Amino acid sequence: MTDPPVESVRVGRGAALWSVAAAVCMAISVAGSYWIAPEDVEGPIQRLVFLHVPIAVVSLIAFGVACVAGLMYLRTRSQRWDDIVVVSCGLGLLFTVLAMITGSIWAKAFWGTWWSWQDARLVTYLIIGLIYAAFFVLRSSSDSGAQARFSAVFAVVAFASIPLSFWAVRTAESAIHPVALDRNGLQMDGPTALWFVIGHVAMTVVFIALLKVELLQRQMERRLSSIRLALEESAQ
Amino acid sequence: MSRSLRQIRALVRKDLWLEMRTRDTVVAMGLFVVIAMVILQFGFGTRETDLTRFAGGLLWVPITFAAVLGVGRSYVAEREQRVLDGLLVAPTSRFAMLIARAISITGYLLVVELVAIPLLGVFFVRGPYWGSVGWIALAALLADVAIGVLGTLVASMAVFTRARELVMPVIFLPLLLPVVVAAAGATHAVVGGHDMTSYTRYCVFLVGFSVLFALVAFATYEAVFDD
Repeated sequence: MTDPPVESVRVGRGAALWSVAAAVCMAISVAGSYWIAPEDVEGPIQRLVFLHVPIAVVSLIAFGVACVAGLMYLRTRSQRWDDIVVVSCGLGLLFTVLAMITGSIWAKAFWGTWWSWQDARLVTYLIIGLIYAAFFVLRSSSDSGAQARFSAVFAVVAFASIPLSFWAVRTAESAIHPVALDRNGLQMDGPTALWFVIGHVAMTVVFIALLKVELLQRQMERRLSSIRLALEESAQ
Repeated sequence: MSRSLRQIRALVRKDLWLEMRTRDTVVAMGLFVVIAMVILQFGFGTRETDLTRFAGGLLWVPITFAAVLGVGRSYVAEREQRVLDGLLVAPTSRFAMLIARAISITGYLLVVELVAIPLLGVFFVRGPYWGSVGWIALAALLADVAIGVLGTLVASMAVFTRARELVMPVIFLPLLLPVVVAAAGATHAVVGGHDMTSYTRYCVFLVGFSVLFALVAFATYEAVFDD
């Protein structure tokens, strides 16, 4: 049995620092978006955009991280990359569900319905959510020898399907979703755009903090089971 | 002929021979499609004879579910008779294995569609249909290739999991949704009226889907069989 290694302490400190940064960034972002940013002609419900869009964007970032980690796992076979794959997919799925819930609330306020099959992005997020939920079914049903390998391959396959889902659904339906960012840049005025960008930064920091904490937890769980195993062996 | 092509040809021939001897998979898939179409008719709760506006779904929902069954079934010999062990020990390229299986699955689906596409016209469409059968068949061929490539990649993981009967549809169907959207859209475009602009867009999408997943499979398939 070994002493708690310096690495664990460093990782733990990193997770704590990112968590504090996430709390501060979110506090600034929420306060700015709800009290400082100018109110839109469409009323206070429009402020949901400061939360909804960053959540949706960060979910895609999480899936991108999972894909890169998957490719890295296939190259290196390092446990650490497998941890990043599974944690990123989990967080991405969580953010996808949150994006759908916030989107749904917005849809109820503006379109009078909780769900619209004509909204390409809402439908695409549902498809993406189903794909990444399936990731966990595959993972939990795989044998331990193949689990990390299958997870890595699936993370790459699933990420490749994201642009295809957007493409397919967009081809099927006319887009009625409001667009904040197009080829001409951000479609909002200066102060609103500022808080919109801050919202994205804050949500990204939240994602990094959650990722760090989850990774640390997985690392600690493994260490705990190895200690337990060593104790059982020494007791025999 | 290059070595890979010879390997692909031998593997496809093996799959088709096995299928011709047992006729397990294709017959069951064809029957399944007919049953599913009948269930859909009653499931709609209507005795209307003209369901043209649902033509895309009436064709592609049964085919999609039949594809899940067929893809899973096509790995039975690999798993139960340990054919896979033999293939992995032989100096066979993993990618050749994937391409060969994708070709076999595409072949199975084409046979099933020989029944399904005419049946769609007989059962559900009242109005001009037979003139658009060629266009539907072309979209079906493109969709079958996409299903074959993706199905092979997914099935080679799913069939080696514990709850494979459940895992296969749960992981395959969501990934297949864009293909269903495009294939049903293309069918609808030509059956409900000749909207060739939409039809072309959907077909381009189906080609893009197959190409992208072939690249993804090329990059990752080796890793699926790592043991």
